Amino acid sequence: MDITIKNEGEKTLVTLNGRLDTTNADQFQADIQPLMTSPKPDIDIDCSGMTYTSSQGLRIFLSLQKSVLARGGKMVMLNMNPQVKEVFDITGFSNIIAIR
Amino acid sequence: MKKRFNPIKDKSSEIIEFLMASPDMPTDETLCFKIRLSVEEAVENVVRYAYEGGIGWLEAGTSLDKDTLILTIELRDAGVPFNPLDREDPDITLSAEEREVGGLGIFLCKQMMDSLNYRYEDGNNILTMTKKINK
Repeated sequence: MDITIKNEGEKTLVTLNGRLDTTNADQFQADIQPLMTSPKPDIDIDCSGMTYTSSQGLRIFLSLQKSVLARGGKMVMLNMNPQVKEVFDITGFSNIIAIR
Repeated sequence: MKKRFNPIKDKSSEIIEFLMASPDMPTDETLCFKIRLSVEEAVENVVRYAYEGGIGWLEAGTSLDKDTLILTIELRDAGVPFNPLDREDPDITLSAEEREVGGLGIFLCKQMMDSLNYRYEDGNNILTMTKKINK
């Protein structure tokens, strides 16, 4: 799993590549830590290269979404592949996280 | 095919890859995605919670019924008796603020596989998951 985080003005663009699973979930959690503190976050997460997520990944996305909402910010996940999207649909995450 | 891993601490990946490399696995990518996800969730459950400090064994195996094309994955351990199917499903209608973080692993297995079965036998937890494949 590769992650890049870029700040473009007010917006933060996160790009995910590869499989998010039990081997790298802790690292992912650590990598996105800076996003948990900015005052009014506006985050786009490009998922076009993310091929897989397990519940380990889901819990991190939910924590991030909770934290973003609590700070009055917004977060959108973009270009999700159909298999990953199905995981978000089945778990109800499609209703609580914006996906475009 | 079957293998016993001992001890299992930090061995999740090795156990998952062993199962996914089985000749019983389908080649279809979408099916493999669903099976891998279920395997990961079920294996993680044992590795994290079955034994204090992860010191104990896990026997992982697959079998394929050539007539019905039903794939069975079995996980067996001698850890704390625990029926993962007793856990209540998460309420997926709640808002982000109301949702609890976690508790999705076994729920995902239930959704992705055709059946999940648990039994406690001779001091072992035995979890079997089945999926009809199209090999």
